[in-house]
Amino acid sequence: MAKSKLTPEESLLLISKTIEETKRRFEENGHIIILWGVITFTVFFSQYIFSLTGLYRKFDIIWTTVLFPLGAIYTVIYFRKNIKKNMPRTLLTRVIQTMGWAMGMNLLILGFLFRQQLGDAMAPVFIILLALSMIVTGASIKFKPLFIGGLLLNIIGFCTFFLDRDYHGFSLMLGAVIGLIIPGILLNKARRKENV
Amino acid sequence: MFKDLDPILHSQLRLSIVSTLMTVEEANFNFIKETTQATSGNISIQIKKLHEAGYINVKKSFKNNYPNTSLSITDKGREAFENYVNDLKKYIQPGQ
Repeated sequence: MAKSKLTPEESLLLISKTIEETKRRFEENGHIIILWGVITFTVFFSQYIFSLTGLYRKFDIIWTTVLFPLGAIYTVIYFRKNIKKNMPRTLLTRVIQTMGWAMGMNLLILGFLFRQQLGDAMAPVFIILLALSMIVTGASIKFKPLFIGGLLLNIIGFCTFFLDRDYHGFSLMLGAVIGLIIPGILLNKARRKENV
Repeated sequence: MFKDLDPILHSQLRLSIVSTLMTVEEANFNFIKETTQATSGNISIQIKKLHEAGYINVKKSFKNNYPNTSLSITDKGREAFENYVNDLKKYIQPGQ
C-alpha cells in the first residue's frame, strides 16, 4: 500500500477488489447447514432403526436430547470463533444469524414444550419453519440451490400433513437431504472454488 | 490531472479502508489491517484523516482486556464514496 496516487481505472479496480475480498471473507460456507442436515437425518434415521429393532423407547430420548444440544453447542462455538477472527458485522450476516437463532429457539421450544399441543402437526411445522429459514438464507446470499432446496423443503412440509404419523420421520430425513445436506455441500463446493 | 476527485478518497489506502467499510456495517482495526495488508501505523494515520473529514466513525473500547477499535462509515462518507465513484466513471467514460 505504498502507492498513494491512482489513475481512475486503478481506483475502480481497487474498489471492486477490496469489496470482493471483504465479501469473500465473511461468506457462509455451508458448514453449519450441512451439520444440521446430518444431525436431523441421523436422529430420525436412528429412530427408525430403533423402532424396527424395538429399542425405540430406550434410545430415542438419548439421540434427541444429546445430538440436538450438541449441534447447538458446536454452532455457538463456530460463531464465537468467527467473532474472534475479527469478522466484521454486516446487515446480511446479522439478518441470517438472528433468523438462525430465532428459528433454532422456536424449534427447540416447540419440540420440547409443545409436543403434545402440536400432535401430528409437529413434523410438518418443523419442516415448514426450517424451509422458511433456508429460503430466506438462499435468497439473501443469492445461492439458487439453497433457495430451491428451501422451496422443496416447504413442499415436503405441506405434503407431510397428508401422511400418516409413522412416515413423518421419512419426511424429515428426505427434507434434511434435499433442503440442507445437498444445498450445503453445493454451497461449500462453490465457496471453495471461489477461493482457489 | 484528476483535480476534481475527492483528495481524501483518492489515496490507495484510504480508498481501500472506505471500500471495506462500504461493504460492512462495522469492522475492527485488525480486520482492516488484514484486508488492506498495510502497517498499523499507516492505517492509524489514514483512519485519523478519514475521521477528521467526517467520513468514518471511530469507536474505541476494550474487548477481553485488549483495546478494540471499531470503524464504520458515516452518511457523509457514504455520499462522498458514491460521488467519487461517479466522478471516476466520468473520467473513464467522459460521454456519460
